[in-house]
Amino acid sequence: MQKSRGTLLLLLPGLGLFLALLVLPLANVVEESFRLFVPGRIGSAKDAPYTLFNYTELIEPAYAFYLLETFRFGLVSSLTALVIAFPIAYAMARQGSPLLRKLSIGFLIGMLFLSTLVRVYALQLTFGPTGYARLISGLLNVSPNGRFYTDLVVTFGLLHYLIPISAITLLGTIQNVNPKLAEAAQVLGASRLKSHFTITLPLCIPGLLSAFLICFTLCLSAFVVPMILGKGKVLFVSNLIYARFSEIANYPSGSAVAIIMLVIALMTIYGVTRVVSTRVIQD
Amino acid sequence: MRRLIDNIGTWLGIANILIVLVFLIFPIAVAVMMSFDARDYLGRFPPQAYSIRWYESFFSDAYYLQGLTTSLILAVIATFVSTTAGVSAAIVLDRHTGRSKEVLESLFLSPLVVPAVVIGFALLLFFSLLGVFDGFTRLLGGHIIITFPYTVRTTLAGLVGIRKTLTEAAMALGANERRAFWDVTFPLARTGIVAGAVFAFAFSMDDIAVSLFLTSPDTYTLPVAMVSMMRTNFDLTIAAAAVVLMVFTFLLILALNWAIGLEKLIGQGVFRS
Repeated sequence: MQKSRGTLLLLLPGLGLFLALLVLPLANVVEESFRLFVPGRIGSAKDAPYTLFNYTELIEPAYAFYLLETFRFGLVSSLTALVIAFPIAYAMARQGSPLLRKLSIGFLIGMLFLSTLVRVYALQLTFGPTGYARLISGLLNVSPNGRFYTDLVVTFGLLHYLIPISAITLLGTIQNVNPKLAEAAQVLGASRLKSHFTITLPLCIPGLLSAFLICFTLCLSAFVVPMILGKGKVLFVSNLIYARFSEIANYPSGSAVAIIMLVIALMTIYGVTRVVSTRVIQD
Repeated sequence: MRRLIDNIGTWLGIANILIVLVFLIFPIAVAVMMSFDARDYLGRFPPQAYSIRWYESFFSDAYYLQGLTTSLILAVIATFVSTTAGVSAAIVLDRHTGRSKEVLESLFLSPLVVPAVVIGFALLLFFSLLGVFDGFTRLLGGHIIITFPYTVRTTLAGLVGIRKTLTEAAMALGANERRAFWDVTFPLARTGIVAGAVFAFAFSMDDIAVSLFLTSPDTYTLPVAMVSMMRTNFDLTIAAAAVVLMVFTFLLILALNWAIGLEKLIGQGVFRS
């Protein structure tokens, strides 16, 4: 009896915060998302009738576009980050010098801790009109104010965070793959490259999947990167929610978008965790 | 032929690392250099002459300074509250096993999965519903819920490594449960707790997505101040502000390295969502 009361007391602050600052606010968002919005007000009226309109409205191409856009950037950036980060993590895991290892881990963690805003502002200065925008867009033969160049800079913004985080995630995975296996393949006549692609890489698939999951969910909820680097041309779902709040105060519609976004985020995470865990069991 | 392919592979690997290093570091170098630009407008990179005018401008601008003060006070209080709640929750989680533990743990970590914009938006609606319009209270609520899961996770990771037999030994020698906790478990778990607090502080200082929804005209954080300046203003005080934030980041990493060592951080899987 005494013990369970102590347990409850210890859990109480956490549960209280969780309930007051997450569960109830989210429940309220669900409720709000079914309310009818009358333009010109701030939010819905207290006795506004219930409606499905806020959700059905989102099926229209104009809104589905935001979602597709978010997915497109998420996929491209996450895959690029993995392809770039894997060889780096591999080199870190397989080199012998403890000093170099400590330095590179310290560097990557430093990159992760770097404030998002500092990152975005630094990229804007570097790839914006006062930086190298003209040079790079000239090399690629596109306009520095065009859609392609803006897309590229937004992708850079995402990669600046995704590369360090995937390298760190993959480092753990590669460290768990026995290097003797690849060596055995090489003794049996495979080139280093071939042993890499047939032995090491397949053993890292669960790690690659979870790194992809981390990158993709981070992209789905990216907010500052498209807001600043996208210059109003690239808008993710999160920016749509913010616009609903700051521009037209249509809270019911913002709520519906928020719920859709939450469901997609949860489904992605659930889906990929399933894939990862079945892989591990099979192995 | 085999040798050739391998060599190409090695060189590609080295080229990849060099390109990534440039990509990650160069923009930061640009921002730092631009923050020392002597020109009185935002000109092309690189600066022709250097000065500390933008730092003078930052440290004499009441708008930024108020943001910085709010950010620091907010980060300290939010860290304190979420670390206290997180540590006590982690202690319970560590003692239990099985289904109830799994459910509670995923509940406590779930704010990590909810996109920050959704949390900010939900809190905005909820606080309006309750009639809470004080900017600081609203910001504090937002910052507590986004930092709380980190403190639970790192404390739990720290507690899991402590052998239960140590506590049992203390109790066999006559200590009661409370005494055994404060004398044995707590000192051993301290590194995990400190790491959680450092994370909480860092994420609180860094947040924009949640804070943008919850600020009021007279209570705003430094990142929010910087975002609004970025939209309307084209001077380099923002660069100076960015360097100031970077210095904070650097100090936090030093603190983290001193508390647990950076290499251990990866083993704990702190960065996995």
